[in-house]
Amino acid sequence: MSTAEHLETSAAVGLGTRTRRARRRPRVLGGTWWRHVLAILVILWALFPIAYVTSAAFNANQTLGSATLVPERVTLDNFRYLVEGEVPGRPGDPPTEVPYLRWYANTMIIAACTAVLTVLLGALAAYAFSRFRFKGRRLGLLALLLIQMFPQLLLVVAIYLIVLHTGAVFGFIGLNTLTGLILVYLGGVMGVNVWLMKGFFDTIPAELDESARVDGATPAQVFWGVILPLAAPVLAVIGLFSFIGVVNEFVIASVLLQEQDKFTLARGLWGFIDQKYSENWGTFSAGVLLAAPPVVILFLFLQKFIVSGLTGGAVKG
Amino acid sequence: MADVVFDGVDKVFPNGVQAVYELSLDVHDGEFLVLVGPSGCGKTTALRMVAGLEEITDGTLTIGGRVVNDLSPKERDVAMVFQNYALYPHLTVADNIAFGLRLRRESKSVIEERVHWAAKMLDLSPYLARRPKELSGGQRQRVAMGRAIVRKPQAFLMDEPLSNLDAKLRVQMRADIAKLQRDLETTTIYVTHDQVEAMTMGDRVAVMNQGRLQQVDTPQRLYDNPANLFVAGFIGTPPMNLLAASVASQNGSVSVQVGEQAVPLSDEAMRRFPAVRGREGREVVLGVRADDLHRADRRPDLPAVNANLELIEALGSQSIAYFRIDAMVIGVDEDLIDEREADGEGVTAARPNLVSAMSAEDAVGLRTGERVPVAIDTKHIHLFDAETGAPLR
Ligand SMILES: Nc1ncnc2c1ncn2[C@@H]1O[C@H](COP(=O)(O)OP(=O)(O)OP(=O)(O)O)[C@@H](O)[C@H]1O
Ligand SMILES: [Mg+2]
Repeated sequence: MSTAEHLETSAAVGLGTRTRRARRRPRVLGGTWWRHVLAILVILWALFPIAYVTSAAFNANQTLGSATLVPERVTLDNFRYLVEGEVPGRPGDPPTEVPYLRWYANTMIIAACTAVLTVLLGALAAYAFSRFRFKGRRLGLLALLLIQMFPQLLLVVAIYLIVLHTGAVFGFIGLNTLTGLILVYLGGVMGVNVWLMKGFFDTIPAELDESARVDGATPAQVFWGVILPLAAPVLAVIGLFSFIGVVNEFVIASVLLQEQDKFTLARGLWGFIDQKYSENWGTFSAGVLLAAPPVVILFLFLQKFIVSGLTGGAVKG
Repeated sequence: MADVVFDGVDKVFPNGVQAVYELSLDVHDGEFLVLVGPSGCGKTTALRMVAGLEEITDGTLTIGGRVVNDLSPKERDVAMVFQNYALYPHLTVADNIAFGLRLRRESKSVIEERVHWAAKMLDLSPYLARRPKELSGGQRQRVAMGRAIVRKPQAFLMDEPLSNLDAKLRVQMRADIAKLQRDLETTTIYVTHDQVEAMTMGDRVAVMNQGRLQQVDTPQRLYDNPANLFVAGFIGTPPMNLLAASVASQNGSVSVQVGEQAVPLSDEAMRRFPAVRGREGREVVLGVRADDLHRADRRPDLPAVNANLELIEALGSQSIAYFRIDAMVIGVDEDLIDEREADGEGVTAARPNLVSAMSAEDAVGLRTGERVPVAIDTKHIHLFDAETGAPLR
């Protein structure tokens, strides 16, 4: 599920509440009917790709070219293959092993760890940059920004070599380890997130820190007890985006994870549509469809933190 | 509870600005000391040094006999009320008040008891479950106070805690805070730029200007015996009239020459300023409180000067009359000084330079634009050296 799709889903969620409210007061519809027409069009537009993927997942026909939006024959086979971990090959070939559930678990572990650690480490760095004055502060901020200007793709070769050689010494962060991939992701996303969080922390009045310090808080207690709770919206957004980002990431995951058992969903599902297993678009669609719920659930869960006005009443300006 | 002692404290900010010079000040145990001065004079900086939020560049600061220069805010055990309250928006009123106690790992029952005690003192009991954003400005202010008193700290530090309230509430809170402090007997340093607040609340008042302490004394003594021109002009509403003058003498009696007009000094005044005799021609500053200026026809016993009546403000029982007299005004505000310089040597001020407070009855019949004889009660005048600004004795 891409970020764009994701935003569309959220728009749809918002519109859902709108129509519900409208039903309660039907008279309001009078001058605003066009909004509803527009909303329905937007929903259709947003749901169209999802409809296609859903259709493909339930279609007995594995190729896309000949498929119709409404499947001729509905089947759950695609889902069964994934859960059982075996996809039948071309006629005559033996079935291919696909540890889909394993990929699923890998992806969730990597995405969750990366999201949590990104938020935590990013917040710690941002707190320091926002609140402390130390030698190299400006330089550090600038460096973060500069490094961020190079896409991570440029670094793939370097990352591969680093992980290869580090892995030779410290096996647990080498190639084909989830921890290694998590570490690489953490490095990659830090810059922008630290800037975002620092920007948010800067808007939290410094008097709150000072007040807490006079109340007897150590800098760490200020961080956990005052800053983090107030920064919940930006933490939720960053956590969500890095989760989504990791679920979607393909290149680095493919380079660093080369054993089938270690694949992420993005890397693993790719196998269904390159030549290796012929073109299993149906199974691919089923796999993609199953991958969507965690992200949606996470979004719904974090939504309540992504509210404005959390700092209302702190200071009188 | 403890005393707070500044001994030669300097503060230089990293950008080179020196905000506090050689501050030596002894705040007694249990005392309510008000730190007052115009904006930017270094009051907040001085207070923040006590709290430990600002490093002390030089000198020593002692709280309860302990040098605290290098102690963290946590170790100093003081409580601070910020100008904008700085409440924790994500916590309820009860949790806001309990915050400091929780950090000190007090037991649950102690926390509960103390929070309810503080809430009761401040009439906050009905709001304990609310968030700060659901409170009015005055209630937020009280929560900030509650957070300070609940810990029973060595000292309270308050930085203009009333400046965000409306005028009426401010008067009420003024009395409430003063009473609370008297009940708790906790050493308090209270910063304000409002000299009325300073005069009404403080056991003693410390006047600061441009980073330097000018005078520390009880409100009445500050009013009666200002230590220099600045304090004279800063304390009191309306502010003391300060006019350039010189000492003159005519056949044995000494007078003060204001512009072209002479104000003979009474025997009582001469007793207060023995140094004036025999110093004819000396440049001085004449200071007269608005209360010591009267209509000449009501007080024929007093010497009078003629002045143009520019404006009358009726305040009900009292009227404030603004006169213009042919003499240079001595400004203690920087903008006034600039104006005087712009006007050039010997030119009278562009705005009214003599303010009188009289009873509403006395003001009846006065008409603006007229030249009115104004009687000066010389018994209560102040004279300052024009060069040093020190009072003549
Ligand atoms: N962090 C800082 N860095 C540099 N200079 C500062 C800093 N804080 C204050 N100053 C300067 O120090 C001087 C005193 O400031 P301070 O805040 O103590 O004034 P104040 O008396 O509290 O004024 P106000 O009544 O307006 O609050 C001012 O000239 C100010 O510009
Ligand atoms: Mg201040």
